[in-house]
Amino acid sequence: MAAVTTPAHAPLGHAHASHADTPHADHDNFAAQLRMNRLGLWLFFISEAFLFGGLLAARFYLWGGTRPELDQNIGLIVTSMLLVSSISMRIAETAMERGNRKAFSFFILLTAIFGLIFMGGVMVFEWGLFPAIYQGHLTPWGDKYGAIVFAMTGMHALHVISGVAFILIVWNLARKGHFSKERHWGVEACAIYWHYVDVVWIFFYPALYLIGNVAHVTH
Amino acid sequence: MRLTSLGLVRGLIGYAVGLLLGMAVVVVSRLLMGMSVWEAEAAWVGGVFFAVIGFLGGVGALSDWLKWTRGAETPLLHGPPADKPAWTRYFGVDYNHKVIGIQYGVTGLFLLLIGGSLALVFRAELADSGISFLQPGTYNTFLSMHAWVALAAILLGVGGMANYLVPLMIGAADMAFPRLNAFAYWINVPAILTLLLSMLFGWDSGWTAYPPLSLRGPVGYQLVFLSIFSIGLSSILGSLNIIVTMLMMRPKGMSLFRMPIFCWAILATSLIQLTATQLIGQAFLMLSFERTLGMPFFNPLYNAAGENIGGQPLLFQHLFWFYSHPAVYVFVLPGLGIISELLPVFSRKPLFGYRWVALSSLAIALVGFLVWGHHMFTSGYGEYLRVVFMISTLLVAVPTGVKFFSWLGTLWGGRLTFPTPMLFTLGAISVFLIGGLSGPILATTATDLFLHDTYFVVGHFHATIFGGFVFPFFAAIYYWYPKITGRMYDETMGKLHFWLMTPGFWLMSLAQMTAGTMGMRRRIADYDPALGVENVHLLVTIAGFVIAFSILIMIYNLFTSAEIGATAGNNPWRSRSPEWQIPSPAPEHSYARPIAVVGEPYDYGLAGSKYIASMGAGDD
Amino acid sequence: MLKQNGYGIVVFIGVLLAILTVVEYFMGLYHVGATLLMLMAALKAILVLYFFMHVSRLWTAEGDH
Repeated sequence: MAAVTTPAHAPLGHAHASHADTPHADHDNFAAQLRMNRLGLWLFFISEAFLFGGLLAARFYLWGGTRPELDQNIGLIVTSMLLVSSISMRIAETAMERGNRKAFSFFILLTAIFGLIFMGGVMVFEWGLFPAIYQGHLTPWGDKYGAIVFAMTGMHALHVISGVAFILIVWNLARKGHFSKERHWGVEACAIYWHYVDVVWIFFYPALYLIGNVAHVTH
Repeated sequence: MRLTSLGLVRGLIGYAVGLLLGMAVVVVSRLLMGMSVWEAEAAWVGGVFFAVIGFLGGVGALSDWLKWTRGAETPLLHGPPADKPAWTRYFGVDYNHKVIGIQYGVTGLFLLLIGGSLALVFRAELADSGISFLQPGTYNTFLSMHAWVALAAILLGVGGMANYLVPLMIGAADMAFPRLNAFAYWINVPAILTLLLSMLFGWDSGWTAYPPLSLRGPVGYQLVFLSIFSIGLSSILGSLNIIVTMLMMRPKGMSLFRMPIFCWAILATSLIQLTATQLIGQAFLMLSFERTLGMPFFNPLYNAAGENIGGQPLLFQHLFWFYSHPAVYVFVLPGLGIISELLPVFSRKPLFGYRWVALSSLAIALVGFLVWGHHMFTSGYGEYLRVVFMISTLLVAVPTGVKFFSWLGTLWGGRLTFPTPMLFTLGAISVFLIGGLSGPILATTATDLFLHDTYFVVGHFHATIFGGFVFPFFAAIYYWYPKITGRMYDETMGKLHFWLMTPGFWLMSLAQMTAGTMGMRRRIADYDPALGVENVHLLVTIAGFVIAFSILIMIYNLFTSAEIGATAGNNPWRSRSPEWQIPSPAPEHSYARPIAVVGEPYDYGLAGSKYIASMGAGDD
Repeated sequence: MLKQNGYGIVVFIGVLLAILTVVEYFMGLYHVGATLLMLMAALKAILVLYFFMHVSRLWTAEGDH
């Protein structure tokens, strides 16, 4: 039997995606695929919620009613950065829904920039990777505070970085003329993934910065 | 045909290249940071991480996704590759769910053989007291490897049944995300390689890898952590795919309560796999980081004042069992689904209490999330927790009992026939009954305090897993073999397999439990002959070898019958299920046109009832 | 139900989230306890899930847009 190909919907939702028989069938296929894609992505979120939930459980198990000494201003600033990035991402998506590609490109890049500022804040101030700028006092191996802070922010940072990579891919595809007002699953997926990363931080922020009394650890 | 045109070969090359590359990355970065250049553990961690990615790249599981990032179109290929022999598609990335299902199933069987062989080795050591040929360290490595290899085999076997059967049973053309499906299979292969590689270094804690032991043992642990993490990723992505397929791709007329009952079992299984698996991934990742970077999650760390500023070992047990208890239901629910699926066919009667059976699978899955603490009765956690976890654990018996009564009700007054699949189904019920009845004894705190970590637990576990997975899996293999190959297996050899394996297993299981009540601890290479368990151990070992021999008969049967077996025809079992209404072996595109469901799935023996429209349901 | 597809609603929800974050920060300063803070986080998360991630698209048969 020779290999045959059937029309495939281009995954990220290109404007000219399908070669199906009739425009009507094409429309139905696209709608069905879109519904499946959405459900799949949300199931992935549910799955990831257990990962982040596990990290939160570890935090409450080991720290209980205490928390490490972290700079409150930094916490508020990076949290705001992520919030603003979510707003700009939502604007970018709305722009795509209205066919305004220019605004889309601008706001989605703005989102990535806010995301990178967030990452910078985490790396410089929470992780203390650049002692010349800011002298961090937590190390991953120092005590349970360092270990959990690095585990939670590290796992979250991994998602921020993958989100930024996703944004750059989508931005590049849009620049090359992919996506349309009606068909832009790639944009939608990227946007709700980014918001999901924000939702995770919404829970991590109080868990790391606000809940419990500051513990002064002697080594 | 060039050897490198096989995906598997390219994957292996990718694995080797990735291993070296990863080690080089670690060495160079250590050099840059001014640390000692070679540290075996760090090098292996980096090496194996890159090796897994290298394998996936080499085999081609990532190619289409990488093309998507550039905006390229990637049409789905159907059928075997045009320029290569047909069998090659099983050794490379293929998007057809039937191919992937067989890849899963065969890999699972292969692992089952490896895992079983490991058990035979240390069973031989245990046949009499005294150390004969396995030193305690090696013994522990064999024992730990037996556990994870066999668990991986079960996960792959479950994946095989789900992938092959679910789309066929719901009349779908394929899974919802074929590329994800292939990825979820192929990530298992480097994971298995890594798991086997860990034997080079050894690791000795048993499969649970409890800290602090797992934080101090050899490098083998790191390989196990990464391997299980990858297999877990496969579970998560595979179950995601299955759920979407089942919820979105059912044909017209097939409401959820008209799905074949096996689909319900897989739905419940997938919900567990989708969520709980994250916790073992996280737990093993934390162990790995604690070993590599010294992050104190689980090991206590005391400051000058004597306060613990480090972690707590019990945290690991909570995270671990939050997955590993529900995982047991991942292993058995599909098998119980197979039992419910096959009994009506061979009884020619409707499945007794379809809705209750369907919902009992979900109930077991949900209650399963609340019972993890019964593994920790002796761990020293808060005493009030013992009561909570005891009650929740005993609750599991309710939905499980529903299944047993449904099976009895289905058999009652049926016109029974006893070909091999039916025999294995009945064998499964008998074995699962042994496992089930020994469960409440362990779930009750008072008795568990005496039986914890004894061979009684080993006996209980193996009875549940054989009854819930191995027997039904074999039943499924014999039952769907004609659909897969188009030929019948050899009935005589099948019956021989059954009549060797079932009494063998009864003997093994009951003897293990007896040894446990006599005071035999698990996970030790030697025991005091004064316990009086020597004869019992000898029986377990002999039974183990009988079971192994019977499985070899099955393998031989499966291989030879594919060549010389009688032609099976479309529907040798007169089943009403959609997959039996199409030709055998199942064609590339399973259903020539969409099917429509017009009746109940299990109305065997009801005159004029139909499940599938226009395809000639096999009612009698 | 609020209209979900305008720029206005985005900014409105954004401002709401910002206010909630500031309230949360002061709640933290005054040690109101883990439960209230987590409830606050849940409220913010629901806003994001509903207005930013359009969770309702999962069950509305909109199909495409």
